[in-house]
Amino acid sequence: MRNNIPVAALSEFVNEVADVPEEALMDYGLEIKWESGTRSRSETKPMKVGPHQISRSFTWKSDEPRQLMGNNHGPNPQELLLSGLGSCMMVSFVAGATAAGIQLETVRIDFDATLDLRGFMGLGTNSTVGFPEVKYRIYVTGDGTEEQFAELHRKSVSHSPNAQTIMNPVQMTGEIISTQIES
Amino acid sequence: MSNKNILGDPSSIAPDYLNDGWLNELGRTRGAGPFLANHPAPGRGMSTTCVHAGTHDDPRTGAVGTPIYQASTFVLNDNQYQSVEDGFARDRFIYSRYGNPSQWAVQEKLAALEGAESAIVFSSGMAAITSTVMALVDKGAHVVASSDLYGGTFNLFNQEFPTFGMSCTMVDSYDFDAIEAAIQPNTQLMYFEAITNPLLKVIDIPRLVEIAKRRNVRLVVDATFAPPVAMRTLEHGVDVVVHSASKYLNGHSDLIAGVAAGPRKLIDMIWPRLLNYGGSLDPHACFLLERGLKTLDVRMRAHEESATALAKFLETHPRVKKVFYPFLESHPDYDTAKRLLKNGMGNITFVIEGGDKAALRLVDALRIPKQATSLGGVESLISLPFNTSQATFTTRQRADIGIDPGCVRLSVGIEDADDLIADFDRAFATIYSSKEPAHA
Repeated sequence: MRNNIPVAALSEFVNEVADVPEEALMDYGLEIKWESGTRSRSETKPMKVGPHQISRSFTWKSDEPRQLMGNNHGPNPQELLLSGLGSCMMVSFVAGATAAGIQLETVRIDFDATLDLRGFMGLGTNSTVGFPEVKYRIYVTGDGTEEQFAELHRKSVSHSPNAQTIMNPVQMTGEIISTQIES
Repeated sequence: MSNKNILGDPSSIAPDYLNDGWLNELGRTRGAGPFLANHPAPGRGMSTTCVHAGTHDDPRTGAVGTPIYQASTFVLNDNQYQSVEDGFARDRFIYSRYGNPSQWAVQEKLAALEGAESAIVFSSGMAAITSTVMALVDKGAHVVASSDLYGGTFNLFNQEFPTFGMSCTMVDSYDFDAIEAAIQPNTQLMYFEAITNPLLKVIDIPRLVEIAKRRNVRLVVDATFAPPVAMRTLEHGVDVVVHSASKYLNGHSDLIAGVAAGPRKLIDMIWPRLLNYGGSLDPHACFLLERGLKTLDVRMRAHEESATALAKFLETHPRVKKVFYPFLESHPDYDTAKRLLKNGMGNITFVIEGGDKAALRLVDALRIPKQATSLGGVESLISLPFNTSQATFTTRQRADIGIDPGCVRLSVGIEDADDLIADFDRAFATIYSSKEPAHA
């Protein structure tokens, strides 16, 4: 299998979804529990792939470095954000390369981003709370031409759900359910 | 040396790579198969399908019937290498663990009989069951299954599942509320048997389908006791049907095999488990299975005829306390059987006076039925749950699942009903005329 992706099955799935759009709907869920200080534990909820639920038994922890009042017990939320962004771009890039018949040898994406915490702290008047810019570089070796890889880069970012979520406004709908405990 | 022709399913062609555009421009669609050739259905009748579907006369010599392709490996060409690279290797001949023309022929026949897009034969029913279940579950998955499963399947869920970090809740297959209540957010699969062993409960498959679809869970049904002549399980909406083909499908008690059939999408997911777990069926066994299937329809009618006559005889015999045969009006699932089954089967379970000791004397006194486990052969087979299928249970445990002392498991073959009735009549007379007490 090219790049260990079955392009025949990928093509069949794309055409199945064209006929049965319900098969394209993925329901995701995640539960995050506060453990201690800045450390939290994330656990995937069962997912729905089309009309069928599937088990997702994965957990991980996030924490802040000691300098930010944490214990450095895991990647921090910004790193996890970049990880989710980059691994989604990777799926898109590899799937696109496979569909174009390009054999990949290595792919690496380097991310750098600077956050000004004055926004988080409420200190800065002009600084944004979130990342103002995310920089990345894709290092790829394979049998594609420079032009093919450039085109693949453009298309894979424009079809990456996480890249598009970050690049475009997203509606966040939240509420809080609180219980006051008598002390 | 290589052969330039397409060696496999000619309707399956390599996907075109994108020159421009994105994934939406990929052209290859999923089709039924893989099949040796695209030929029209020979007829709509079950017996015509049994005889002709999937069977391929030898194109070189004209020899009638599918040749036995007793080969482990195949001469490769560029097209086969490409099939591996592009992920359609199931549609080409490469190596017999992946696929072999003898397997394909019998798979096509089985798919036609079940009304399935695709089927895979395995080296046993348990290989089919394990590969199917493991293809449809993920890390941390949960399965809801029947509480009176076949022992081998019970062992898969009870012994292997916890090792993989997966779990199974077993529920009374009559209790639909309990089945639904057992479904958890991580439940991926409901696993049931169409007709249970040994009490021959006929499960209301349409109700299971309704629950599975509403709760977004896959449903796999083991229809070993209800082969396609009796019920086309997939037509009720079941996702995948599995069989021990060693039983009715082959019908001659001379091979061990299994099959999984269903939509191409799901069978393609099961195929990598066939490769990983290695339960491929030998070409010679495929030939035997294909030949056995040709008479499935006439055999099932003969099983029903002899079993119905014998069941009625047993029901009237003064030494027989209970008879379980789904086509007897006394069977608790008679209405369900009439609704779901187009044909009966040879399995009869009955309880005789005198407990297990009398049952042992009965199986010894009979001349026609062989004292052996298994079922679905042309010859009648007889065994006792207490020392075979439920031997690890205590008397009370057996009673809890409805197996009383004196319970006998009979698979009626295709012998003449008059001969079977005469044999049982004589055997009963022999064992109850002895001086041993009738009540153990």
